[in-house]
Amino acid sequence: MKKIYKGRVTEVKQAATDLYYIKISAANFSANAGQFISVLCDNCTLRRPFSVMDCENGVITILFKLKGKGTNYIKNLKEGDDIDFSGPFGNGFSLTDKRSLIIGAGVGVAPVLFLKKEFDKKGVESRIIGGFLNKDAIPANINLDMISTDDGSLGKKGSIVNFLKDEIKNYAPYRIYACGPSIVLEKICETASQYGIQTQIAMEKEMACSIGVCRGCAITLKNGKNATVCKDGPVFSGEDIKW
Amino acid sequence: MVDLSVNLNGLILKNPILTASGTYGYADEYDDFLSVKNIGAIVTKAISLEPRSGNTGRRIMETDAGMINSIGLENMGIKAFLENVLPKLEEERISYIVNIAGATFDEYIELGKICENSRIRAIELNLSCPNVHAGCLEFGTDEGSLYSLVNAVRNVYSGKLIAKLTPNVTDITKIAIAAQNAGADLISAINTVKASGVRISYVRGKFYQERINGGLSGMGIKPVALRAVSSISEAVNIPIIGMGGISSLNDIFEFISVGADAFQIGTANFTHPTIAEDLVNQLAEFIEYNGFASYEELKNKIREDIKNE
Repeated sequence: MKKIYKGRVTEVKQAATDLYYIKISAANFSANAGQFISVLCDNCTLRRPFSVMDCENGVITILFKLKGKGTNYIKNLKEGDDIDFSGPFGNGFSLTDKRSLIIGAGVGVAPVLFLKKEFDKKGVESRIIGGFLNKDAIPANINLDMISTDDGSLGKKGSIVNFLKDEIKNYAPYRIYACGPSIVLEKICETASQYGIQTQIAMEKEMACSIGVCRGCAITLKNGKNATVCKDGPVFSGEDIKW
Repeated sequence: MVDLSVNLNGLILKNPILTASGTYGYADEYDDFLSVKNIGAIVTKAISLEPRSGNTGRRIMETDAGMINSIGLENMGIKAFLENVLPKLEEERISYIVNIAGATFDEYIELGKICENSRIRAIELNLSCPNVHAGCLEFGTDEGSLYSLVNAVRNVYSGKLIAKLTPNVTDITKIAIAAQNAGADLISAINTVKASGVRISYVRGKFYQERINGGLSGMGIKPVALRAVSSISEAVNIPIIGMGGISSLNDIFEFISVGADAFQIGTANFTHPTIAEDLVNQLAEFIEYNGFASYEELKNKIREDIKNE
């Protein structure tokens, strides 16, 4: 059930250039991969939404990018500080029992790492790959099966989408899961549809209410209907998105 | 149990805390957070004659002390509302006010007739949406047009009629007087303040602008709202539902002191989804702890004390 939680910060640590991890202890909170929480930040009108990167034994891990007032407030929290967050929001990924390819780009790697863990728990075969700007943009302590960087400073050189066709040919996934910048998701969906592969993608959009009432994060789907990223998403079938 | 009830020109509510149109949807999404039936009334998202898909592009932007929205009245239309939403509100005993927005003069009349036939006990006329080019804005900014419109709806609708006013006018008292003369039972004020949100970024040697033109809400507009409510209360004698940046009991006292009789909570619902019920409880506690008999007594006490200062 959605509610407001009063959590306790157990750790804040830098993960990469501009990226940070925060761990929050909150009894009774649970979420599925792809769902998000909204954090109350000092001196901000709106809460800040973040995908859950991990949630186990009452400890939530969030990976966030420093962007402004809200994320700076979170970055400066210390171990033992109280943190007010609400959630879990959104629909989350729907898992398949067939072999899947999982793609994360930039900070978008957070929810798909959680997804990878859920696949592993279920014993479903999956492969996770990630694309980043450069080696300094890769969050510390994450395990990926393949990495690409735009400048080639680590892993393969080039955008992750450049390697997608080879990945599809070699791995033959039943479904592709992805999170990242809109332009990357669009290209992933385009390539996947050429191979007739279903996609599930987690979208990002500025939000106000997190529960679908304000309609601030609405997008238009191919069928002409509106959908809110916060409530109807953030995970959508790639085939439904009007790019 | 403390008596928080209010009689707003015949509109009787169990307490003076309402939620503002556009911030509460049709109430269902707040179920997990609180008991919606404990709120004085929810004002529905604006409902038009036909469904509207709203504006494309960026719809919201946070500002230094609030937010700007340009949703464009996305809604399911009155037919779907009556069929799918109204029965649930009735069943769950949620007190509600229907906010209606016409694209034309005739649409307001039609909506008024439909609400009359559906025995809706109170409607709020959205006379001031800043995000729709044709329609409601012009009615809200010209006292002659507003008079004709409110009067025409009055003639087809016998329930409680609330005129929601925009602050984006030269003299809000003229608009308020026109609403009263046309037969409005109450005034609610203020709608959002016309504003632009701009963000500039500098990437690889080039400047980029992100921009939204829309309505500003949240704590940044509270001083604007207090001034408007104050002016309106000096000009008319019908009750006023005050709104604009309310998020605490003290904000409510400020609005009472300038003439508001009831209150709508807007943007604060997004940040604190339990706030409407929290404020009902805090108001009851304050009244009880300080030995007042009722909300009405507290309201009168605030105004008397200030008058005698």
